[in-house]
Amino acid sequence: MVKPLAGIRIVDFTAHAAGPFCTHMLSQLGAECIKIESALRPDIFRKPHPVYGRMGPASFDQVASNKLSVRLNIKHPKGVALARRLVAVADAAAESFRPGVLSRLGLGYDALRAVKSDIIVLSVSSSGQTGPDSHFAGYAPLFGAWGALGTLSGYADGPPVEIRHVMDHTVGLNAAAAFLAALHHRKATGEGQHVDVSAREVASSLIGEALLLAAAGVEPRRIGNDHPRMAPHGVYPARGDDCWISIAVGTDAQWRALARIIERPELAEDVRFADAESRHANRAKLDPLIAAWTASRDADSTAELLQASGVAAHASWRAGDAVSDPHLRSRRAIVDVKEPDGRQRAAIGVPVRMSKCPDIGIASGTPKLGEHEDYVFGDLLGLSQTERRALEEEEVIY
Amino acid sequence: MTQPATGAPLAGFTAVVSASGVAAAYAGRLLGVMGAQTILLEPPGGTPLRREPPFLDTEERAGALFAYLAAGARSFVADLTTEHGRTEARDLLAHADVFIDDTPLAERERQGIDQRAVAAQHPRLVHVSVLPFGASGPKAHWKGEEINILHACTEGQLMPNGLSQELFPDRPPVKIYGQFASMQGGIAAALGALSALWIRDTVGGQFVDIASQDAALAVSAFAVQRFGDGAVESRATRSFRYGGVLECANGHVELLTLEQHQWKGLVKLMGDPAWALDPALEDSLERSRRGAAINAYIRAWAKEQHVEDIVAGGQKLGVPLAKYSDAKDVLADPHERVRGLFAPVAIEGAGLCDMLVSPFHFGGKPLSLRGGPPVLGEYRNARRSKKAGADAW
Repeated sequence: MVKPLAGIRIVDFTAHAAGPFCTHMLSQLGAECIKIESALRPDIFRKPHPVYGRMGPASFDQVASNKLSVRLNIKHPKGVALARRLVAVADAAAESFRPGVLSRLGLGYDALRAVKSDIIVLSVSSSGQTGPDSHFAGYAPLFGAWGALGTLSGYADGPPVEIRHVMDHTVGLNAAAAFLAALHHRKATGEGQHVDVSAREVASSLIGEALLLAAAGVEPRRIGNDHPRMAPHGVYPARGDDCWISIAVGTDAQWRALARIIERPELAEDVRFADAESRHANRAKLDPLIAAWTASRDADSTAELLQASGVAAHASWRAGDAVSDPHLRSRRAIVDVKEPDGRQRAAIGVPVRMSKCPDIGIASGTPKLGEHEDYVFGDLLGLSQTERRALEEEEVIY
Repeated sequence: MTQPATGAPLAGFTAVVSASGVAAAYAGRLLGVMGAQTILLEPPGGTPLRREPPFLDTEERAGALFAYLAAGARSFVADLTTEHGRTEARDLLAHADVFIDDTPLAERERQGIDQRAVAAQHPRLVHVSVLPFGASGPKAHWKGEEINILHACTEGQLMPNGLSQELFPDRPPVKIYGQFASMQGGIAAALGALSALWIRDTVGGQFVDIASQDAALAVSAFAVQRFGDGAVESRATRSFRYGGVLECANGHVELLTLEQHQWKGLVKLMGDPAWALDPALEDSLERSRRGAAINAYIRAWAKEQHVEDIVAGGQKLGVPLAKYSDAKDVLADPHERVRGLFAPVAIEGAGLCDMLVSPFHFGGKPLSLRGGPPVLGEYRNARRSKKAGADAW
């Protein structure tokens, strides 16, 4: 069983969504991630937040899977000392506190470098470690707002739109790539470093072309489901309640195929739709024609029909569609994870398939708080049961 | 045009990128901005990305998307439908560490770049395939544009939510701006490439299969977990009970208070209004139950406020509040200027433009771009005139 990051150990101070998603991805690639929490201050996402309108925890099970869990009160001086000992036997530390918090606790980059000279410290924060807004508090929708991704998303005549948890997880996926780059740098130079990932800048990085337009003097605006070139291009009604199909026509050949499939071959000859430019200019006339055809049809089978003729289409899926999809199952993009209590649930696999590393993915479910202290405090740090009990009584291991 | 990205973490690596779509090109950009030398392998006439609107100039020579994706890369043209072109590509790959390719599966063997041929010719090469639905599985041959991937990953169905959904409940779902889902494929491809490079000394090169659908689904993990927990997310119900997008006197802000101290800060920011001082609202569950009524108060208050005032005041009180910035705001943002998020690059047809560099800082410093997008085929010409420098093979 070969996993690319086998042998890499990460002390994981991250909480919430973005940072934990990053280390979760790294753990699926084989890194050993030791999640640091305490009963005093568990991961904010272990608990529900009623403002979401539901009482289950958010995505904790997903992003905590595959990790080891220990309790460690890093507000206690002895907890800080223990955290440093852990970092001394690790390759990296990951954190997502507000900038400055970990330094104030004595666990900033300089302090950790003092115990492990080539340590990589990965910091994920809302606005980065430097700059006048670095202290700002934020969550996913705020990253999208600051970064203009949310501002540009939405109906042309409507307000901005919140970019939800996908924003957090995108930050995490980016951070995982940045971490790998830092590992390569360490291999080449022997040097560790502090990696600073700004979530609002990740949001902006996803609209680099729009920011470039603005720099050239053209202010980009919300365009809903429109595309700058393609038409038809949109989300069309399908049979069933709130069912939709996405269709994108990129070439004249695809347009002719679509006209034939919808049994309107005359449209292929219509001068209003003769080429990409004409179709785009007349898309308001085109879209109702497509919608009239899709409205009574099943979305999945219609997508298959269109794909068979080379037209890009896909049903608008809910989670249940994805979870049961043979394609995603065959790629291990969706996997079943067995929790320690025997419960089985669907989860997402790391979105990478490697020909020589077929076993990457989730090996274990959600850890209980402190589940792996025998290994971490006992085997790795050599603490005796007596020492551990004493530290528990002092609310250090707590 | 190229300057070595000294000190950048991936300095010394070379990636050849054959990209007609955003995902593969974005993977190349990510590796390039982190220090790898990226060479676009383009067909005669160039990648279709060069012709993708919108354009930065009225003559439509400088596409914004291509400029962003290809900044700092070199360009090498080879016609892979000819033996000569395939030989040239083979020579190029012989000096590369990574090959990122989004050629449709059905065309790869004819072009000599299928998995088997590449592995046989370049045993240490990391070969990264980037396709909408991946290189294996029943849908491997399916076409997928950005909007299709967004809907194949479940997030498309869930947009919009909050205020926009309230205003337009009967409209079709609306996409996230730009190339969100495709870029997830690019980020995953960069992650996969770097993972495979990490163990190359142990196992040699290998084939890395990336699907933009897998990557976009991965970042939609929340919906999958909710399904496993017995609930189905819907855009009609996926709204914050209060807060969210708020219209102000001069724009919009985003408000999200998850924690008790954040709620208290918000009450203070609003001037301790009587309705908010109801002791029952100390309880987060009760606030959730009364969300609609609370939101009516918050929205009425916000409409009288200026964005900059309440964001600054709110953040001082620990209230997560952010301005919905437009693109110009981000470009001019003093915070981003201090952090070096943008750098001027030369773009043929558009002149010098500020371009986003990277959301990462390494060692306390921002990264840098090697330059703007390459002129088609300039790498061959530079080699011929022996000006390609040390990075020519």
